[in-house]
Amino acid sequence: MFKFAPYVLKSLWRHRSRTMLTVSGSAVALFVFCFVGSVQRGLSRLTEDQEALRTLIVFQENRFCPTSSKLPEDYVRTAAKLPGVKDVVPIKVFTNNCRASLDVVVFNGMPPEQLRSSRNLKLLSGSWGEFDSRTDAAVVGAAVAQRRQLKVGQRFTIGEVTVSIVGIFRSSVPAEDNYIYTHLDFLQRARGQSSVGTVTQLEVHLHDSADPDQVAAAIDAQFRNGPIATSTRSKGVFQRDTLSDLAELIGFAHWLGYACVGLVLALVATTTVMAVQDRIKEHAVLQTLGLRPGRIFRLVLAESVLQSTAGGLLGIGAGLGLLAWGGFAVGAEGVTISFNPSLDLAVSGALVSAIVGVLAGILPGWQAARTEIVTALRYG
Amino acid sequence: MALVEIRRLTKQFRKGDEVITPLQEVNLDIEAGDFVSLMGASGSGKSTLLNAVAGIDRPTSGEIVINGSDITKLSRGSLADWRAANIGYIFQMHNLIPVLTAYENVELPLLLLPMSAMERQKRVEIALDAVNLRDRANHYPRQLSGGQEQRVGIARAIVANPTIIVGDEPTGDLDADTTEQILELVQRLNSELGMTLLLVTHDPKVAALAPRQLRLEKGKLIEKGREVALVGGDFQERSD
Repeated sequence: MFKFAPYVLKSLWRHRSRTMLTVSGSAVALFVFCFVGSVQRGLSRLTEDQEALRTLIVFQENRFCPTSSKLPEDYVRTAAKLPGVKDVVPIKVFTNNCRASLDVVVFNGMPPEQLRSSRNLKLLSGSWGEFDSRTDAAVVGAAVAQRRQLKVGQRFTIGEVTVSIVGIFRSSVPAEDNYIYTHLDFLQRARGQSSVGTVTQLEVHLHDSADPDQVAAAIDAQFRNGPIATSTRSKGVFQRDTLSDLAELIGFAHWLGYACVGLVLALVATTTVMAVQDRIKEHAVLQTLGLRPGRIFRLVLAESVLQSTAGGLLGIGAGLGLLAWGGFAVGAEGVTISFNPSLDLAVSGALVSAIVGVLAGILPGWQAARTEIVTALRYG
Repeated sequence: MALVEIRRLTKQFRKGDEVITPLQEVNLDIEAGDFVSLMGASGSGKSTLLNAVAGIDRPTSGEIVINGSDITKLSRGSLADWRAANIGYIFQMHNLIPVLTAYENVELPLLLLPMSAMERQKRVEIALDAVNLRDRANHYPRQLSGGQEQRVGIARAIVANPTIIVGDEPTGDLDADTTEQILELVQRLNSELGMTLLLVTHDPKVAALAPRQLRLEKGKLIEKGREVALVGGDFQERSD
């Protein structure tokens, strides 16, 4: 089959404008497919991650935006005593925008020692020593730093909160690359004294043997008669509930991904049908020379797959490049979904474009293979 | 046993309500090394007969045995393989693949046969030498004259050393001078290389070059004014 590669490539090059337009169309569609895919994967990572399912978030009951949840900080001690609880991390959350936004900035204030023990953060620049020694210090996620052009040594202000950047980190959880971590007490005091002694949420880590649902129920029962009632869910469920409006949109957006696949299919099939109709006589000549119908079919299929895959790879490359460079994220109510490039996205995109190429080539390939030689030589 | 044995070959097709029979019980033997021309009026069935021999058209009934194989019994795929190994086809309109160079066009039939790249190269060069176009090997069809294109077409037809070469009006699209050159080349294929040729033409001058001249009239094959008929298994020339 590779002996005929020059013929296939030259046939595509013969109508280069048409080929280029098809490749471009396929590239644009796979670019969008990649973006939609990365958003969906970001959401899945947040809600289906095993760690997220075994970590509980305690939030004020019937509150949604982080600014409205104010739990007494001493809930930490009470919660830590409950069976199955390994560790409780108090977190103060401050965000510049509670609504859905593509440029949400989320500050998480945590005790420094618990920050390092509960998060898998790798400093790309700066130092933990400086973070420990300065009360207004902040370590910034790589995606926020990239999006906001932030560097170590700079001061950064959002609303009434001004921090000194002492480190840029990358997390093993991509969504956390969109967070800025500060000291808990700094964030509690950053907006006046009203927040001292309160936190936005508690993050409860469980022992391996603990049942998350039972512990969540026990926590809520414990605080039901306290000054502030709580609502405790696994981190995955909490994030899914928080992002439910966005999740609906993202769920709808996956149809956009399918539409892109359909678009490529229609585009490549149209081009291949045109190419076959242009060359009815040529295919008859090839059959006269001794090419089997099956080989003609495969040659047409090869043209279709090449166009679809070449466009697909271009679109995937551009899409993943932009995702890697842009540090895009969408967030709401202090939870963010990061749009990250990934190998499995690249592989699935390449597979989709190849499969679409095959599907798009089947009908025109069959048409070419069934060419009646004599009729085509006479009238083709 | 003749190289080509055609027995009671009939071809019919429908045109609206009318049934047309361009070939009716045609019988013909062609020996290895024969040079046969086939004439006839338009629609007489000469191209139909040629295409049946070339294995690109199926007869309605009858047998075509070439080199011991009855090609009417081969499947579509097997027939394609058989054509690759046994048929060299010279088209009236050259029918070169426009995106391939002269060299690549000539090489095309060899890509279907089991042989090394070196052997392919050798054979293509010999074929291009035979048609005196070695210096145009890297030219595309659009860069060649009509005569040169036809010579490339002839090189493509002979390169696999086929059992039989068939030509459908091979000079029909050429001017007088170029026709002379092509006919000289075709004659050399037969006289010097001993290739078996079956040419369809409507031009008596072209037909006259062949030692054996046949005519198709009303579905019957005529040789030297007599119908070529099969009586009791032997050929006889029957008076008109």
